[in-house]
Amino acid sequence: MDTLSTRVMITGMGIVCSIAQTVQEFVEAIREGRSGITKLPEQYNHSVRIGAWIKDFSWQNWLNKLSDLDPAIHRRACKVLNNTTDSTRLSACGAIQAFQNAHSAGMNKTPDELGIIVAGSNLAQSYTVENWKRFSESGRMNPRYALSFFDSNQVGCLSEILAIRGPGLTIGAAAASSNAALFQAFHWIRCGLVKRCLVVGAAMEFSPMELEAFAILGAASCNQFAGDPDRACRPFDQAHEGFVWGQGSASVMLESAQWRGGLPAIGEISGVSLLLDGNHLPDPSADGEARAMRTALESAKLEPDRIGYINAHGSSSALGDRTECAAIKAVFQESISNIWINSTKSLTGHCFSASGTIELIATILQLNGGFVHPNRNLDNPIDLELKLAGNQAGPLSAQYALTNGFGFGGINSSLVVKGNNA
Amino acid sequence: MSYDKREIFEIVKNNTLNVLPDLLPDDITIDRSLTDLGANSVDRVEIVLYSLDDLKLKIPTSELHGVRDLRALVDLLFHHSTAS
Repeated sequence: MDTLSTRVMITGMGIVCSIAQTVQEFVEAIREGRSGITKLPEQYNHSVRIGAWIKDFSWQNWLNKLSDLDPAIHRRACKVLNNTTDSTRLSACGAIQAFQNAHSAGMNKTPDELGIIVAGSNLAQSYTVENWKRFSESGRMNPRYALSFFDSNQVGCLSEILAIRGPGLTIGAAAASSNAALFQAFHWIRCGLVKRCLVVGAAMEFSPMELEAFAILGAASCNQFAGDPDRACRPFDQAHEGFVWGQGSASVMLESAQWRGGLPAIGEISGVSLLLDGNHLPDPSADGEARAMRTALESAKLEPDRIGYINAHGSSSALGDRTECAAIKAVFQESISNIWINSTKSLTGHCFSASGTIELIATILQLNGGFVHPNRNLDNPIDLELKLAGNQAGPLSAQYALTNGFGFGGINSSLVVKGNNA
Repeated sequence: MSYDKREIFEIVKNNTLNVLPDLLPDDITIDRSLTDLGANSVDRVEIVLYSLDDLKLKIPTSELHGVRDLRALVDLLFHHSTAS
């Protein structure tokens, strides 16, 4: 079997974020352009006052409501999630959805060839801070801490819940973590190491320390929109002033098309890239971002004019947005007037390690649903040549899309995505 | 505050039910061990530490290592609670 030509299909998706707790809710939320950004609870005494917080969520209720959940998975999830990090609980909810979704699409046996990659590092900062507080005040230690502080504990927890026996690990690449994990899973499937791989974009639980540190660097929105959360996240608008943190986790199941033998899929990852700028700073590079987009297109064997939609990294950072516009124009040149562009972060906030899987799901839903979701708060675009989505959803007719993820430390990644509408 | 052995057993039992949500209250009797109730190595530490928290006790970890069943655990906790 010529595994290097195996197509990599998307067969399951799951999400829990500030605007949706299932994929069905997510498609409605993005179509309507709903924002999850609100004021943060008052006890967070730091410069950052706003975030896309998940409200009214209990993992137990969420599991109990999930229809047709295998009772064995439910039982193992209740046990494993009983005392662990919130990030792990959110990962489990997204991963179980994607796993179940992929099964209901035709695959009812879990083969040993199922792998798992959890995207993100330093996922449980607030858990660590809270355990430190308890320990320093009372001398008492949470007995699970020695397990739960490892990001790789999420690999263990999810493998136990879903009975996964293939390869598994975590991958960290800052805000490009999910894209890096999808890049890796794509190659695992292409080279025949696994037939299927679950990619879990894990939620980053920042503590007040991380939020303050981002504010000091000028990366996080904390000035003119502190009292007006709904208007704070405005990718590609002239008044953008930094990212707004979002809580969220999303998972996708990738499967080898050859192994599936022609069963229908939700979509396909056609090409991937993951490249470095040779720079450890947060400064983005237009050359580096353009190189990532070109390399992904080459990997998909596509010319730039085949792309009809770009899900931008678009974090609402002034320098980041400008740099990405320049990079997109350099790659797509004259075809740029035909390509719709938006940023899902204008709705969900910036979910860091999970942003790549969240945005992959948003991309697929828009390609398959034939719409481009609003790019909220785009009142005065920084670039008039780009076809940026406005405050209303619009129709989209595209076969291929590109989704970008750029991380601190010059980590650039792009994915070429194909919908199932062609 | 001092506790009798029955109260200490009830505290251990409640923590066991919290850590092992599949168990029924009647499963947990003084003659059983946490291991045969299905507690793994971390579950056992969790149950003991939560019980120590509830009893406001500190016991050197080494003393807990030889405990084989719930009766021995309750005896040890009772011994320390009356000594403190």
